[in-house]
Amino acid sequence: MSLLQAEDITIMDGKTTLLKPLSLRLDPGVPLVILGETGSGKSLMAQAIMGTLPATLTAKGRVAIGKQILNAGAPDQFRGLWGRQIGVLPQEPWLSLDPLMRARNQVAETHTLVRGLHRQQADRQARDDLAALGLAGAENKYPHTLSGGMAQRVAIAAARAGGARIVIADEPTKGLDAPRRDDVAKLLMNEMGDSGGLLVITHDLALAQRLGSQMIVLRRGEVVEQGDTHQIFASPRATYTQEFLEADPERWSPKEPRSPTAPAVVTAHDLTVARANKTLFSGVSFSIAQGHVFGVTGPSGCGKSSLGDALLGLITPRAGQVLRRAGEAPHSFQKLYQDPVSAFPRKRSLGQTLDDTVAFSGCAHGKIDALLEQLDLDPALLKRRPDAVSGGELQRLSLLRVLLRTPSFICADEPTSRLDPITQKRVIALLTQTTQDDGVALMLISHDTALIRNTADTVLALDAQSHENATPDVPRQSVAIPTL
Amino acid sequence: MNVIASRFVQAVMVAVLIGTATFIMMRSLPGDAAWRIAAGRYGYDHIDAAAADAVRNELGLDGPALPALLQWLGDLMRLDFGNSLVTGQPVINEITHQLGASVSLACVAILLSLLMGPPLGILAGLKPNGWLDRGLLLVSTGLKAIPQFLMALVLIVVIAVQLRWLPAAGHGEAKHFILPSLTLALGLAAVNARIARDAMARIAEMPFWRFAHWKGLSTRQTLLRHGLRNVAVPLTTYLGLQFVTLVEGVIIVESIFGWPGIGHALVHAIFSRDVPMVQGTALVLGLGFVAVNTAIDLTVRRIDPRVAS
Repeated sequence: MSLLQAEDITIMDGKTTLLKPLSLRLDPGVPLVILGETGSGKSLMAQAIMGTLPATLTAKGRVAIGKQILNAGAPDQFRGLWGRQIGVLPQEPWLSLDPLMRARNQVAETHTLVRGLHRQQADRQARDDLAALGLAGAENKYPHTLSGGMAQRVAIAAARAGGARIVIADEPTKGLDAPRRDDVAKLLMNEMGDSGGLLVITHDLALAQRLGSQMIVLRRGEVVEQGDTHQIFASPRATYTQEFLEADPERWSPKEPRSPTAPAVVTAHDLTVARANKTLFSGVSFSIAQGHVFGVTGPSGCGKSSLGDALLGLITPRAGQVLRRAGEAPHSFQKLYQDPVSAFPRKRSLGQTLDDTVAFSGCAHGKIDALLEQLDLDPALLKRRPDAVSGGELQRLSLLRVLLRTPSFICADEPTSRLDPITQKRVIALLTQTTQDDGVALMLISHDTALIRNTADTVLALDAQSHENATPDVPRQSVAIPTL
Repeated sequence: MNVIASRFVQAVMVAVLIGTATFIMMRSLPGDAAWRIAAGRYGYDHIDAAAADAVRNELGLDGPALPALLQWLGDLMRLDFGNSLVTGQPVINEITHQLGASVSLACVAILLSLLMGPPLGILAGLKPNGWLDRGLLLVSTGLKAIPQFLMALVLIVVIAVQLRWLPAAGHGEAKHFILPSLTLALGLAAVNARIARDAMARIAEMPFWRFAHWKGLSTRQTLLRHGLRNVAVPLTTYLGLQFVTLVEGVIIVESIFGWPGIGHALVHAIFSRDVPMVQGTALVLGLGFVAVNTAIDLTVRRIDPRVAS
């Protein structure tokens, strides 16, 4: 008997159909992956099954969980299933744990409040749960002292403590490097075991491949292909699936090597960089020429971003020198950030923000239009706010903003790690092409070794110094001064 | 430990600065200090030039300023605040007596404000832009905009004079607490309701709030287990800042309600040019500010482990 059966789930935004009738079933021990690019409706499907769709959307269809049959159009009915039948592995495990509560108590409270265990019993159970996930000794830690992987394990223990047999994970590997991605795949498989159900929503091809079993490929709210994962990977039938699989950086055509003939824009001499008194790397020397792509790769916490910051002059290296080409203006070194949403003012339209940059840099206004065309962007986007455009468009707009300052060096720090493969391929191609055409020296930082290998003219691989101890950027709580 | 050491240094600097500043201000006030002190001692109807001269000679008010200041700072090191120029009693006795009255009023006021502000703020923050939220914004902005002396007078006129429910002034019984503490509490609650509201609205948007629901907790359980704990951090921090408002308010409110506290004493000491009293009182208020903030720091560290690391 299946754990969960969803029949003809349809999601509408007013009269627009966001998801055409989709049926799926979850069987014990058989993971199901819904693969799709941003905007394919894959997250909406998960939200419909959990009853967390935004109130502005309407859903139709039936969801059978165990013996209960629920109406997808009535999200309130699903509330009682949370924690008891359905456990959710959150996207941001750090932010999903209460920053002020010890790990053990966050698991134990599910045991007491949801399962009704006594305090001591719940406490013992929570210790056992965490120990089973390899977290013995970390029970009393607060979330900010946990690594990302540990936080994820605490979160899954807390999510399932109420007895949930079905786990739903929406993009569980967003922004993670390969070893951590494999850890997540292993964790999910272990949690499912033989009797649990697992539904994973992702655009991560490697994750889908590791989980195996069943897969649904979605595009614009429609099922493109459905079936056995390995079979789809081996011989995709739909052209869209082929295109999607081709977008995997592993399968990109390698770049023809070019030797630098142009003069170097920036040179690093015997660079040693430390953060918080910990040396990240030492004795690194290289130079980046005009129009060249310098790739930096390595696991999380190895100092990739710090190297970029040192070149940009944002941090002072502990030893060594960064030499800029003579006559460079201070603003000619620019950075492209990982998360474009937080790199734009939230409450202004994109056009206003770009106008500010134009006014500030004193270039002609026509440059925006020229760049919009070059980067294949619709001018109508400028009327919107940052949260109303897609991630790929926004990252191209950040590139546009950087180019407005006529840079000679751009440091792109994980510019596509939050984008789906198809969008990633497009953005990387535009980024490298544009910088090459304009004679900009590009430093491309990514944890994806295949992406760097197939894109860069020169590759620098940094080693891991401390994989597990890399501390996250946990947003600090600040005192909000009220509007009075 | 670091917190305590740095706060101690701060306390010493506050003491020297307040001591010097009040001294300079008192010296540069217009009017003849000897006359004012004599008036403070004997009453305005009973003084003449001879009495003023007697006071002048007795206290050495003609002397140069610098030795007097150094003398006072030196005494301070030995924790000797000197004697009141008016009553002749040691300043420390007067202050400890009045401080008790002020602290009890301030505590009641804070307690009252915490009973009113944060609960309403949290309820408003759970439904941003709901009717409660908008109503609360209106009321708290209005309350904050009313100066405390006006608030005190309105309360006296309405509740004491018109309705005759409570005494307009006085000290000694529980009922005397109500109007002065309510005057202070309304101003404080207006702000901490907003702090609680903003914190709650922000927390309700956080992934951990949603995740607690996904674990199977009800909204009530989530609020009690995770909401209050997280709202407490900014609220406690802000409480330290509110102490300034409170000191300011205490001076006005005590004068209006005739409350025999430190604020009341400060105003009288200024009128009668009682320099040691002014210095002593200002110093105690300044050090009180440091002490309150140290306590707040330590409390926040207890609640929020991220601050300590």
